[in-house]
Amino acid sequence: MKQAIRLGAGSGFWGDAMDPAMEMLEREPLDYLCFDFLAELTMALLQRQKNKDPAAGYVPDAIAYMKAMMPLAKRKGTRLVSNGGGVNVAAAARQIASDAAAIGLPDLKVGAVEGDDLLERMPELLASGTPLVNMDTGAANLADRAGDIVSANVYTDSSGIVQALAQGADVVIAGRVSDNAVYVGPAVHEFGWQRDANHADRIAAAITLGHIVECAAGCTGGMSSRFAEMPAMGRVGFPILELGANGDCTITKTQGSGGRVDCDTVKEHLVYEIGDPREYLMPDGVADFTTVRLAQQGDDRVRVTGIRGRGPTGLLKLVVGLRDGWIGESMAFFPWPNAYDRVMKARVTMLERFERLGLAADAVHFDVVGLNMLHGDAAPRMSPQDANQLPELGLRCAVRTRSAAEADKVRRAASSLWIMGPGGTSFGTPIKPRPVVSTWPTLIPAHWVRQRVTMVKP
Amino acid sequence: MKNDQPLGANTRRIADIAYVRSGDKGDVCTVGLIARRPQDYDALRRSVTPGAVHALYGSWVKGEVACHRMDNIQAVVVVMQGALGGGATQTLRLDQTGKSLGHALLRLPVLEGTKAPGDTP
Repeated sequence: MKQAIRLGAGSGFWGDAMDPAMEMLEREPLDYLCFDFLAELTMALLQRQKNKDPAAGYVPDAIAYMKAMMPLAKRKGTRLVSNGGGVNVAAAARQIASDAAAIGLPDLKVGAVEGDDLLERMPELLASGTPLVNMDTGAANLADRAGDIVSANVYTDSSGIVQALAQGADVVIAGRVSDNAVYVGPAVHEFGWQRDANHADRIAAAITLGHIVECAAGCTGGMSSRFAEMPAMGRVGFPILELGANGDCTITKTQGSGGRVDCDTVKEHLVYEIGDPREYLMPDGVADFTTVRLAQQGDDRVRVTGIRGRGPTGLLKLVVGLRDGWIGESMAFFPWPNAYDRVMKARVTMLERFERLGLAADAVHFDVVGLNMLHGDAAPRMSPQDANQLPELGLRCAVRTRSAAEADKVRRAASSLWIMGPGGTSFGTPIKPRPVVSTWPTLIPAHWVRQRVTMVKP
Repeated sequence: MKNDQPLGANTRRIADIAYVRSGDKGDVCTVGLIARRPQDYDALRRSVTPGAVHALYGSWVKGEVACHRMDNIQAVVVVMQGALGGGATQTLRLDQTGKSLGHALLRLPVLEGTKAPGDTP
């Protein structure tokens, strides 16, 4: 059994750049290259694609990544683990296997991990009496919205990934496993960690380390408050975990790449998108981020030790996607002099247009671009006299409606500003209405989920 | 806090003592504030309280605010419920995932030299 493994982070989201992952695979010895492709919203988006085409529903990038990396990965003995299967893991696995055959890798083994998708079991779940309370709003009436449900996926643990690796998979493709399960799985597999109290701290360490690297450049200088001092971010290196069997780790990045790894870049990502840091709840266990100890170990190397945690809670997070109306949006921009007065006049004109068009909206929202669009009430208020001296300002409008036709009235009202608006009104390309899928996050007992692993050969 | 009023010449803002990382989970905006120097951690904790956060954001943060301490990395994690206009998929705001929203916390004034909440005398 190995005493340490090297895991690379290959992707932080669907749409991330591929070249940093390829560069890492070329330059670094790696046991695993791991990819997170999914966000909360992604599953509903993929489900919509699958509804149109039963062969779709996985993250297309995941297939392209595997095709590009399989030959070198196989040669170097690097195994590829991702959650790019989305809502159609089987189709993704078949496509990867067929690509492998086509590029001369007939022995490649692809492990497909399924079981997170509860869409077809929603009637059963709704009928079961499980409360399904919305974690954001406290609402408990999901059954009333049953007709709007478009997706239902459970954040699942790494056990399916572990099983696929144990069966010899060179490439593992999963659905909605937790973001950090693609890191926890290889660690549990390599070190033979049991899911018991003796190993809870080590699994918590892998969860924490997975969290730190799962957004790839997010811990190597991306999104940094110290952006000005981060070198060559366009050629940024993605992070690498040098993980020991006891859960201690060093975080580094691809040699010769841009960006930086230091205690502050690691801290910045440790605190990213978490709740109570003492209770980082994941399907694989609960990590206590207040136990993490960091130490700089030289250039671009940070030692991470001391992580404590406990076993899983027995509850899993289910995110249900619901069809929920439309959003229409517009932007227009106005020059000095008196840019602020122009914005205010354009706002009134748009409201008059909404009245004429008979807009039926759930909510209408305006921002002044340049004054309060990002921070709203927290932005300092500027006097109209001062705002009128600014070189330019914009007016943004967004409305929530029940139909696409209603949402499109915002585009039409904004277009009317071309000629009805104040002098100097200018636009980019008008924005098309977009459908809303709202998310209903809730907790369900773990017994509702059974992961399945299928090995697919070219 | 009246965030549109100028501070005294000697008053520091959180921007002077902390790094920030902001993001979302549903309709929750979660923000990490990290003291740049360990000696500023107490002032950071003292200055960033649920009351100060609510006063700053006004109607843009509708729910409960919790400020969690991380002594190990000298950071405060601010968790703001009902802070994103319904969450990424439904919000009418441009900053759908709260990447920018937390940066407004850097405007809070630093309260110098008194005990932080929860400190034993």
